[in-house]
Amino acid sequence: MRLTPRPVAGFFFIACSLAGVLALFTGCKKASTRKEGEILIGFSSRDLSAEYTAKLSEAVVDYAKTKPGVRLVMVDAQSDAQKQLSQIENFISQKADVIILNPCELEASTPAVDRAKAADIPIVLVNQVTKSAGDAYIGSNDVDAGHIAMEAIAKQLGGKGGVLMIHGIMGTSAQLQREAGAREVFAKYPGLKLVDHQTAAWDRAKAMSLTENWIQAHRGKFQAIFAHNDEMAMGALLALERAGIKKEVYVIGIDAIAQALTAVNEGRLDATVFQDAVGQGQGAVDAALRLARKQPGAKENYIPFRLVTRDNVGEFLPKK
Amino acid sequence: MLRALELRKDFGELTVLHPISVDFCPGEVHALMGENGAGKSTLMKVLAGLYQPDYGHIQWRGEIVSFDSPHDALTAGIAMIHQELMPIPDLTVAENITLGIEPTGPLGIINRQTQRERAIELLRELEADLEPDRLMRTLTVAQTQVVEIAKALGRHADVILMDEPTAALSDHEIAALFRTINRLKSRGVAVVYTTHKMDEVFRLADRISILRDGRLITTAPAHELSPQKLISLMVGRELADIFPPRSVPGREPVLEVSGLTREPAYRDINLTLHRGEILALAGLMGAGRTEVASALYGLQPAISGLISVHGKNVVIDSPTTAIALGIGMVTEDRKGLGLIPALSVRENISLAALNRFARGPLVRHTEEANAARHQLQAFAIKASSPEQPIHQLSGGNQQKALLARCLLNEPEIIILDEPTRGIDIGAKAEIYAVIQKLAAQGKAILLISSELPEVLALAHRIVVLRQGNVAATLDASRSDQESLLNLAMPL
Amino acid sequence: MPTLDRNLLHRFGILIVILLIGLGLSLTTDTFLSLSNLTNVARQVSINGILAIGVTFVLLTAGVDLSLGAVVALSGVTCATFAHPGEHNVMIPIFIGLATGAACGITNGVLVTKGGVAPFIVTLGMMTVARGLALIASGGRPVADMSPSLTNLAGDVLGIPIPLLCFAGVALIAWIFLSNFRLGRYIYAVGGNENAARAAGISVTKVKLFAYTTCGLLTGLAGVVLAARTTTGQPNAGIAYELDAIAAVVIGGTSLAGGIGTVTGTILGVVLIGEINNGLDLLSVSSYYQAVIKGVIIVGAVWLDRRQSRS
Repeated sequence: MRLTPRPVAGFFFIACSLAGVLALFTGCKKASTRKEGEILIGFSSRDLSAEYTAKLSEAVVDYAKTKPGVRLVMVDAQSDAQKQLSQIENFISQKADVIILNPCELEASTPAVDRAKAADIPIVLVNQVTKSAGDAYIGSNDVDAGHIAMEAIAKQLGGKGGVLMIHGIMGTSAQLQREAGAREVFAKYPGLKLVDHQTAAWDRAKAMSLTENWIQAHRGKFQAIFAHNDEMAMGALLALERAGIKKEVYVIGIDAIAQALTAVNEGRLDATVFQDAVGQGQGAVDAALRLARKQPGAKENYIPFRLVTRDNVGEFLPKK
Repeated sequence: MLRALELRKDFGELTVLHPISVDFCPGEVHALMGENGAGKSTLMKVLAGLYQPDYGHIQWRGEIVSFDSPHDALTAGIAMIHQELMPIPDLTVAENITLGIEPTGPLGIINRQTQRERAIELLRELEADLEPDRLMRTLTVAQTQVVEIAKALGRHADVILMDEPTAALSDHEIAALFRTINRLKSRGVAVVYTTHKMDEVFRLADRISILRDGRLITTAPAHELSPQKLISLMVGRELADIFPPRSVPGREPVLEVSGLTREPAYRDINLTLHRGEILALAGLMGAGRTEVASALYGLQPAISGLISVHGKNVVIDSPTTAIALGIGMVTEDRKGLGLIPALSVRENISLAALNRFARGPLVRHTEEANAARHQLQAFAIKASSPEQPIHQLSGGNQQKALLARCLLNEPEIIILDEPTRGIDIGAKAEIYAVIQKLAAQGKAILLISSELPEVLALAHRIVVLRQGNVAATLDASRSDQESLLNLAMPL
Repeated sequence: MPTLDRNLLHRFGILIVILLIGLGLSLTTDTFLSLSNLTNVARQVSINGILAIGVTFVLLTAGVDLSLGAVVALSGVTCATFAHPGEHNVMIPIFIGLATGAACGITNGVLVTKGGVAPFIVTLGMMTVARGLALIASGGRPVADMSPSLTNLAGDVLGIPIPLLCFAGVALIAWIFLSNFRLGRYIYAVGGNENAARAAGISVTKVKLFAYTTCGLLTGLAGVVLAARTTTGQPNAGIAYELDAIAAVVIGGTSLAGGIGTVTGTILGVVLIGEINNGLDLLSVSSYYQAVIKGVIIVGAVWLDRRQSRS
């Protein structure tokens, strides 16, 4: 007996290939109709499946639309530095006027910057630096974010108590800098103790399991958890709530993603650190246009972080 | 030169080799004789480093040695040619022959020219007419075997162990093999081999060791033994006529085939199989016998032609359909199409008839186990329990288990493809008895066999295939080996 | 039952490793052996456990499924999309999540059997397609605001975590199925020798299609459980989950060549991996070393086990 006739599989295959060819075709068409005097910006986003990056990328795209005579092409590197490098190479061969790069990694994305420079195409780095400096950097200093978050904890605990820290993917610049910022605060308050620290790879489910294990190992020895991003802070929060000991522990994350803001507003999450995705995205487009038009401007532009607590969360909540 | 000293081998609880001591001399052909499960293959595998003995030693050129792997044994100069062949299907003949000893240039690059020449030279020594660039998977069993022998020769082995080397070979190929063996002998190579064919042993062997139930019964020069003596030593009892009397077939046609064609294997095959009849398909290797059987069982359907079962035209597109029509088949390719090696004897036997022991989707274990145990007894399958993995059984017992699997479905039409290949004389007699019993019960049997005495003694009628055509349909009682061979020979 | 005994004996090696590590952990930490920590481990292994049981079916047929992690994410997203409070009955999002997984599984199965494409390639394709669909369906952002009636499914009943109950239920059904159902036996037969199974009248297509669909369905279940546990459907969840699941199955003695393997073995493999993850956190082992130690223990356990079963 045949459960599914062969034509179904065949149809599926043909439909998929058609869709692929169509996508390719429309892509080509766009690239070939480049108008005189138009500025072409190539933008490689680190990973559109990460909420913060998605927000930033959206801001870049939306803001570029408001600028006349500008066309922006966005591609998604899906956290793969190799892929990002070939995307930059494609922009170079398309003769983009300027490139905005939201690098995947500190080291592995460096060749992409070098490649653009060698081709004499100005490159703007956004949100993350690489080993080679770009022609402009728009971002926020992650050391500050770590510092702000740990200061909030220190203030809450009165400079004394046990802290757990959940790292992002080890070796990424955000992880390294946020840790460095936090360590500055530990050095300042001798009463503040780092009870344990471990990576949960920016992942909510992993942070949840990690926190569950910590509750077993260190219960009563910690009064605060600092997670390197909000996803992981949400995971820690869920684990604490499930264990019924959220009241005993102060939890803070970074990024101010929508869910975290809601949680702060509901009084579940204690605080998060706002990184201005829209500000960074718009700043990157401005810097790119300046470079394309060969206008002078600051090489580095830091968009400041802000602590978000229940008191000021109203400003950050998305308008309904 | 090579000596087994008190070798013993256990499989779990079962001792398959009781301490055995025997020695093998250069320039001598030493036959190991015994029924299936007597321990011949096990002894060879211990000598070739495939199994490690549980007790005892191997003495090689006067020194006690232990082989941890077949590779160790091969390096020392002991090669084994297995009953179940192990070629690498997607390499060429030449690549298989020189596998592991590829002639290489300075950078370790294989020298294809030399490789081909080595292969051609070795194949010529075996008088085999084989293109060295053919892929192994396109070869027949017989051709594959020739390649395996060439492979061992290419390693300059001092001892060659051959497990049933002639089981799948045609007469012409056997004669060539014998000439090769004699040549090896004169070069001082020790040849150890097993076979179930009586005539071969006395043509070839210098000395014969007889094993029974894992024990060495005796070792004697071949000229001191007669076939009758040898058989009674192997079986442990005197054998009556191994071919039981034929029953009278019915007249009612059960299976009718007309114009069955699948080029280039066979064309325009017509045959009729009656109730209670044993119809033999005879012919040389490559005459299309297995292919016709595969078509009737739905393994590889024919391109054109009519098949009717009980007078109704049917289309057999898969074994599932065939089974539903009451057709069963025991394959010649035990390893490829028969056994599920990791499953137990019970699970292998019940596989095709599992719905008989099921309530809806659930298997009724008790009934299944009872049926399996019953089949073990009925077919005298030697296994430590129904739960023993089937790959641990000897070839003959595996064959009987596959027959048991097929019959569990109570098919009306039974296709037996080489049912006695590689089986000892005792087991053969058992299978002959089963075949006659089935015919007497009114089952229709299509028998494929390369052993002409078997065909002549068992079948009612014989269809001789030659190069894919029906050469003749004969009455078995009025035929002899010579006329059959003449019909089967390519024109 | 004789089969059970044989399997338990065969699994001896892994069991010893699990007990040794457990003994070590209870000596070096005072928390490992506590009831609350063991409940904890049980809760954490559930998702990997459900996936491992599912992929056991596929591995037994000598196939492979690399799309587990991506399908977990996709099912989680579709489930969460229909789980906003007050919109639907709680059964609707659960059904949608399961159906999503099953649909992916059927697609894999059809392409493998009817299309004749190697399972590695088919499921590799499904891995990226499902990940892409998850991003499309969610707009790249976690689907939040899930109804408590669904997220409560990650909680406890009588002190037993519900995800664990799901895992246990799935394992029990799978065990009964593989040892008592005709189709279960056919899965072993097809994996052991596909041609021989076909010659014995078994529909190989049907058997494989069933295996991939079951695996997909269970992956959908894992996606629903994960969404309930993290209270969101995350399009980037489940990355590399297939590797942990396949590792657990292989640790449990299932052959990657098909035809050999048991549910009990898979459970032990899942427990071992969960025990290692938990233990390393309890011991505060640094993140860098955790990865190394985990890999060494996994390979070591399989090596020990194979040695044991050979002797």
